[in-house]
Amino acid sequence: MSSSSVKTTLRYLFSILIVCVFIFPIAWFALTSIKPISAVFNKDRVVVFDFEPTFENYQVTVFGGKRSDTAAGQNMGMGTSGTGAYDGRSSIASSLIIAISSTILATAISLLAAYALSRLRFRGSQGFMHWILSQRFLPPIAIIIPLVFIFRDLGLRDTHLGIIIAHTLINIPLALLILKSFFDDVPIEVDQAAMIDGATRFQCFYLVVLPMIKGGVAATAVLCFIFSWTEFLLSLFLTSSIRTIPVKITTFVTSTGSEWGYISALGTAAIIPGFIFILLVQNHLVRGLTMGAVKE
Amino acid sequence: MASVNISQLNKKYGAVRVLHDLDLQVADGRFVVLLGPSGCGKSTLLRMIAGLESITSGDVLFDDTRVNDVHAKDRNIAMVFQNYALYAHMSVRKNMAFSMRLKRVDKKTIDEKVTWAASILGLEPYLDRLPRELSGGQRQRVAMGRAIVRDPDVFLFDEPLSNLDAKLRVQMRTEIKELHQRLKTTTIYVTHDQIEAMTMADDVVIMRDGYIEQAGSPMEVYDKPNNLFVAQFIGSPGMNIIECQVAVKNGVYYATRDELFLPLPAQAPVEDGQALLYGVRPEHMVPGVQSAGSGDSRASGVVRVVEPTGPEVHVYAKMAGQDVCAISRERLAWEPGETIYFQPDTNHVHLFNKETGAAL
Repeated sequence: MSSSSVKTTLRYLFSILIVCVFIFPIAWFALTSIKPISAVFNKDRVVVFDFEPTFENYQVTVFGGKRSDTAAGQNMGMGTSGTGAYDGRSSIASSLIIAISSTILATAISLLAAYALSRLRFRGSQGFMHWILSQRFLPPIAIIIPLVFIFRDLGLRDTHLGIIIAHTLINIPLALLILKSFFDDVPIEVDQAAMIDGATRFQCFYLVVLPMIKGGVAATAVLCFIFSWTEFLLSLFLTSSIRTIPVKITTFVTSTGSEWGYISALGTAAIIPGFIFILLVQNHLVRGLTMGAVKE
Repeated sequence: MASVNISQLNKKYGAVRVLHDLDLQVADGRFVVLLGPSGCGKSTLLRMIAGLESITSGDVLFDDTRVNDVHAKDRNIAMVFQNYALYAHMSVRKNMAFSMRLKRVDKKTIDEKVTWAASILGLEPYLDRLPRELSGGQRQRVAMGRAIVRDPDVFLFDEPLSNLDAKLRVQMRTEIKELHQRLKTTTIYVTHDQIEAMTMADDVVIMRDGYIEQAGSPMEVYDKPNNLFVAQFIGSPGMNIIECQVAVKNGVYYATRDELFLPLPAQAPVEDGQALLYGVRPEHMVPGVQSAGSGDSRASGVVRVVEPTGPEVHVYAKMAGQDVCAISRERLAWEPGETIYFQPDTNHVHLFNKETGAAL
């Protein structure tokens, strides 16, 4: 073997190793979701593959099925708090509504703001960018108490709109920063050429520059979606009846024990929308869409 | 089409003044080249004409209409940028049709116009390609196509050829000039390449540090430079400039330096002892083996480098401590270190004031 093929092989092995490190927890989690309780809680050995797969955990958490007698019959069921307690359907719906709406809102607002900050010169435009970023300096836990009061007084607590606004506000600074850098990559001459061609400022933005940074918009939207989809703290404090998936899952940890089967089933199911979303936009996630606009 | 008149135009960025009271008239249908080194303000001036840069004071008029406050999109101009600034996500056809689509021109007219422009520029086979699938020269043509479909009053070019390789540049130069002869649209073209300026322009405007140094036809600025800057900027290789002092010998005025005795034009406005700069273009620095000079004139140097270019030979020599260049169309074989005699052509000698650089 030549040294370059040794290198290639090593590189592949290393890549596979890294992928395994990242995949293992998810795979184990997914595996747990189809294990019967007896396999999850086997005290004598670790059950890896030798179990009878069951979809009951999904039946209960994702499809609103009843907890079967077999589970209860095994006498290992934890203290249940009623039949509906493990039904995750409304949480999935809430999470989808909140994540999609806040992603659209945050991306749309940031797009306009980023374009303006990238193209227009106004007094304090530099400081403005820093000020926006500074909104992310505080950890959410530091602002959560005042936020709860503000939302309560505004009547936004425990509403979808409330969390959508909260997630949008948290996402805007980051989305703005990313989108601005994409806009900055498009040379200003492109705007000027469009303007000389008779375009208004908004037409420049909408017809010319925006299509050139589709990839950046997709990447930003993915980040916003993932943040909102997995966000826990704000959702926990700002809601009581609306429970997003991360908050819902924590309720499966009860005073008498943790329902690992349900936790892993709903958790695994929660990966799917994000995964689909990324698959949909991944074609746009490549840079270089602006190639050809200018002489490199 | 329109004439462009600029009067008392100023541009300041904060406290920095980049254009100083510029006056310039571009007659309808002319091809005017703004020429100057980088940072001289030529691009700023062009962008002010385009409406992309605000005007600090002064006026820009298209025909008799003041356009200072007219938005770029309403000036009916077309501009070709140095980096082309194509719309990367649109096909060549859509790039060219963009301005007409914005004006809601009907589809048939758009198609006709685009086909017409594509045929002029040889872009027919590429109409459905994206800019990234084109070569540099083709992209450049798309940028021009986008400009000509609009029937603009004024064409503005901002160093459009500087990103092309040498061969393509020469080709595009001819194409742009041909295009202008065909369309006869008033054109203002910015470049720092004096060959481009000389070959393409009806009028050349030479700028430095925000001032217009000289404006005139290419041959005029070449033959009669107003000052030392213009003399040195135009022409390649540049004009030979020799620091001299006027001396009289046998009743004849000469420009002297060490053992040099350079002949002066018959009616030269000089006096004995005056310090001046003696300028002569390489092609007027006739080289010979023996002193061919008349009277007492003596101009000899030592050959440093000989560069045959094909049609002519460039001889670089050291003359009284100063570098000079001579161009000969005769294929004389010079050797480095050899003594060379020059006979400056007194009809083409330029004299400049040593302090101000102004032509005498």
